[in-house]
Amino acid sequence: MEFNIKKAVDLHNVSCPMNFVKTKAALAQINSGELLEMILDEGEAMVNVPRSLKEEGHIVIKVEPLGETFRVIVRKG
Amino acid sequence: MEENKLDLAALKKIGMIQQKQKELFAMRLRAVGGDLTVKQLAKIAEVAEKYGSGFVHLSTRQGVEIHNVHHSNLEKARNELDTVDIKMGACGPRVRIVVACPGDSTCRWGIIDTKTIAKELDAKYFREDTPHKFKLAVTGCPHNCAKATENDIGVMGAILPRWSGATCTDCGLCVNICPTKAIEKCPGSAGKNEYLLLQDKCINCSICTASCPANSWVIEKKGHNLFIGGTMGKIPRFGTILKKLLNKNELDILVEKSLRYYQKDGRKKERFGHMIDRIGIEKVKGDLLDGI
Repeated sequence: MEFNIKKAVDLHNVSCPMNFVKTKAALAQINSGELLEMILDEGEAMVNVPRSLKEEGHIVIKVEPLGETFRVIVRKG
Repeated sequence: MEENKLDLAALKKIGMIQQKQKELFAMRLRAVGGDLTVKQLAKIAEVAEKYGSGFVHLSTRQGVEIHNVHHSNLEKARNELDTVDIKMGACGPRVRIVVACPGDSTCRWGIIDTKTIAKELDAKYFREDTPHKFKLAVTGCPHNCAKATENDIGVMGAILPRWSGATCTDCGLCVNICPTKAIEKCPGSAGKNEYLLLQDKCINCSICTASCPANSWVIEKKGHNLFIGGTMGKIPRFGTILKKLLNKNELDILVEKSLRYYQKDGRKKERFGHMIDRIGIEKVKGDLLDGI
């Protein structure tokens, strides 16, 4: 499935909580309802960032494994 | 009193431990779950300065120890600590201070009230004699920060997740973040994917329910997972799961049965886990779970 990605941010090798800080900075540059694509590391990043996104009202709409990372697409809330 | 007239076993029982410098003692203080008030900390500092050598040692079990106290000062130091309700700890073959993580009082992952459970266990069992040392830990969730699986009895907060398909957007997050791959995606009716929980693999951690963007993973049940027979030391052994998702009453019954079983059948200087290996885990589980 193809998505209309508005912005992409590569957070491979960016640890918590900086990965979420950078996620928020990227989200600040798009409008509500638009899509952000992120590359997140497996492990701690994947446990923390999606949950923090949920707590701030954004919606993860797709997650795909990509080697040691994941491609995560989130809709800004 | 001279050093050779001291009742070392009685002192050890209350956490006053003779150092290699025979006239000096380490005073192990009882802080359940590692909690102390600032008033207690101030008193500890005062006593350590007055009777110790101006420092404290933090033990591996969340305790505070005042080292280098001369035996002639032990009683005075103890009485002064008692004025702020600091009691002495324990050493030797008995139930030790209960450790706990902060649990649901502050932690976003915490599932159970670890502090209350730790205090209850402490009130019921602290310093009871056992064949060898006996350690209990209470950890709020399967992240296991309080290392429940390294203790003779480990209590762990736990949830049972359930997938409610109605709101699912098929994003695939749950399958990809479950730490034990306990969630499986399978084709459902009308071309829509369904998600299935493999209960044998699930460690009851709540990562799926906390993260699911559509709230399709919900908490079906909260409870306590009980581990028995964990130990570090010379022959380390992780705790074995006795039963999952116990309610508080079932937990209380099984902790009681486990401790009594060890007190009855454990050999001197044999840790609970090594007793379990000697007897056989299936036999022990059968004996303990009988009637539960």
